[in-house]
Amino acid sequence: MTKKIFKSNILVAVVVLIFGIACVMAILYQHFGKQINTELGKEASYLAYGVEQNGVDYLNQIKEKDDRITYIAEDGTVLYDNQADASSMENNSDRKEIQEALKSGSGRAERDSKTLSQKTIYYALRLSDNTVLRVSSTQFSVWVLLMEMVPPMIGIAVVMLILAGLVSMHMANKIVEPINNVDLEHPEENQIYEEVGPLLSKIYKQNRQIRSQLEAARRNQEEFTIITENMQEGLLVIDSYTMILSGNSSAWKMFQMQKPRIGECVYSLNRGEEFRLMIEQVLRGEHGSVRLHLGGEVIQMIANPVTREQRVEGAVLLLINETEKVEREQLRREFSANVSHELMTPLTAVSGFAEIIRNGMVRQEDVQKFAGRIYDEAQRLIALIEDTIRVSQLDEGETPYDWEELDVCQVVRDVCGRLKEIADKKNVHFYIDGDKTMLYSVRPILDEIIYNLCDNGIKYNKEDGTVSIHLRDLGEQVEIRVKDNGIGIPPEDQKRVFERFYRVDKSHSKEIGGTGLGLSIVKHGVGFLGGTLDLASEIDKGSEITMTFPKERKTV
Amino acid sequence: MATHFERQLEALHVQIITMGSFCEKAISLSNKAIRGEDCIKAIFETDREIDTKEREIENLCMRILLHQQPVARDLREVSAALKMISDMERIGDQAADIADLSKYIDEKHVEIPPLIGKMAEMTVNMVTESVDAFVKRDLKLCRKVINDDDQVDDAFNQIKEELAELMYQNLDAKAGLDLLMTAKYMERIGDHAVNIAEWVEYAITGEHRNNEHQMGG
Repeated sequence: MTKKIFKSNILVAVVVLIFGIACVMAILYQHFGKQINTELGKEASYLAYGVEQNGVDYLNQIKEKDDRITYIAEDGTVLYDNQADASSMENNSDRKEIQEALKSGSGRAERDSKTLSQKTIYYALRLSDNTVLRVSSTQFSVWVLLMEMVPPMIGIAVVMLILAGLVSMHMANKIVEPINNVDLEHPEENQIYEEVGPLLSKIYKQNRQIRSQLEAARRNQEEFTIITENMQEGLLVIDSYTMILSGNSSAWKMFQMQKPRIGECVYSLNRGEEFRLMIEQVLRGEHGSVRLHLGGEVIQMIANPVTREQRVEGAVLLLINETEKVEREQLRREFSANVSHELMTPLTAVSGFAEIIRNGMVRQEDVQKFAGRIYDEAQRLIALIEDTIRVSQLDEGETPYDWEELDVCQVVRDVCGRLKEIADKKNVHFYIDGDKTMLYSVRPILDEIIYNLCDNGIKYNKEDGTVSIHLRDLGEQVEIRVKDNGIGIPPEDQKRVFERFYRVDKSHSKEIGGTGLGLSIVKHGVGFLGGTLDLASEIDKGSEITMTFPKERKTV
Repeated sequence: MATHFERQLEALHVQIITMGSFCEKAISLSNKAIRGEDCIKAIFETDREIDTKEREIENLCMRILLHQQPVARDLREVSAALKMISDMERIGDQAADIADLSKYIDEKHVEIPPLIGKMAEMTVNMVTESVDAFVKRDLKLCRKVINDDDQVDDAFNQIKEELAELMYQNLDAKAGLDLLMTAKYMERIGDHAVNIAEWVEYAITGEHRNNEHQMGG
């Protein structure tokens, strides 16, 4: 803009300069012509006076030869000329200025010389004796004048142009400066040329529009980030050249990457065969899913191709951690295998004994014994089914019993009383100590928990062992610790003993008895009562189970 | 928008990773083969795949060199790739050789010295790490692979002594030699892994180590 203003200023200066010079020249030229004419007139009248007094001799006396002086007789014969030989000159009567002079007393004429560079101005005056005196002067033509004036003019023009340049530069800068200083962030607050006003208001409008669009884009981006970052599932977006375009933190975690690997090849995350084949497949445009084993976790990867105009542009990979699901599946399989095994064993026995009796292969006196066995097995089955139902009930979180204020010590003493007989058989001793504490709980469930723990403490104990129960009031909570000095649980099994039907001794031996659901009931019972459960055990030293229950029932 | 050249380099990267994973697969399979699992066919299959991949990568490198005339870092990357694939191809061959030997070892029902199993694990690890180093451009991992080779070499020497002792006692000489060869091949695989790591190092830093590790020294 500065340049433009500068250029137009200079152009104006140049045009004005040239036009000015031309005008001045024209005026000057005309002025010069007039002056020459007047001078010629004066000169002619002086000379005329002299010639009338002294004749041609007067003319001969004149030394100066700047102007041409010609003296012509009435018939046109040249009588005298101060620049040429009079006798050799032709008759001049046909000249315009002579004829005019003869007619009206004076005449004038201008004639261009052959070279065009000069023109001659003639002035003729008729004397009293009808002779004519002509004075002429040459004047350079406009062109010559111009040519002569060019060098000084150029000098002047250069000086003026430099001046004009400096001034225009300054002016241009001055004009542009406020525009440069416009605060485009707040265009409405500027006060400069009103011509710029509409532009500024337009900028203001656009600024607002851009800001709102940016805000919308940022919000979208944020929304997307919030969604993906809070997803448990991993999300990866790759392009058709296997480059990672985007991914969330869950995805990096699943591939055990410390930092995002955006912009790198997807194979830098994993290059297992299954993974590679799946990527290749999805980039061919086929949807697919595969189960990957990444660092001990089972990850289900679902791959969806991204197509645009029937060309695969990339892929979206969804990663779902299925470790738990797979583990649960495993558990369920084991559970159903265990259930069927546990249920089948007594049933087979029942059916076997019954068959023998039906076939009459049993002596009459043995029938009672066999019936006793059938009864025992049936009792076992009933206990098993009862336990299973109880576990499921606890699992579902519903019991037919009421919550009430209980004296824990009393409950423990009850349990010990019932177990006394069994304990005596193995010569195991009970010790109960601790504070008398009240607990808001469900009696049958708490009873069952303690019963099962104590029962286990006896069953998995050595001769002359002890089972001790410690009660402690922790203020808000009640701690119940059941400790035995029995055979203990191997460390690798400690995590699993609470599973249904899980037994450290895999033979499912009947020697010890029980349904295999005892600890499972304990676990679910404690969970139902809102407590926590902790197991510490060492082989051949014994086990210790610590439970804490809140005194008040937590409102769910 | 990435240029065609960048796309080609990326494709090269992907191809090398793929070839590397083939190598890992081949030697972990050969490791299984020694332990008596029947996967010899799969190993030969993988070896063939490795060979095909080598050709492909070679072609790609040549195309890049001729068409794009890469300089500096890119040139290093391409030349390192050319060297790496020949080492990878050798790894594939040696895995196939081990698979061959495992047939004879299996027939004789000899007990495999536990050290050979350990050595196999070490070499699988080294190859995995050298490919990892390439993928992650990890100089530390390169150096770890290069240093790990000493352990493999030591293990090889130990196995040699052990086998000599066993053969002196009662071990069938043929079986002993087969086992020795197996160990030797593994030791060579370790060397190739070191070579790969060195080329990765070269691609990253522009400096290549002297040949001190290359001849199994």
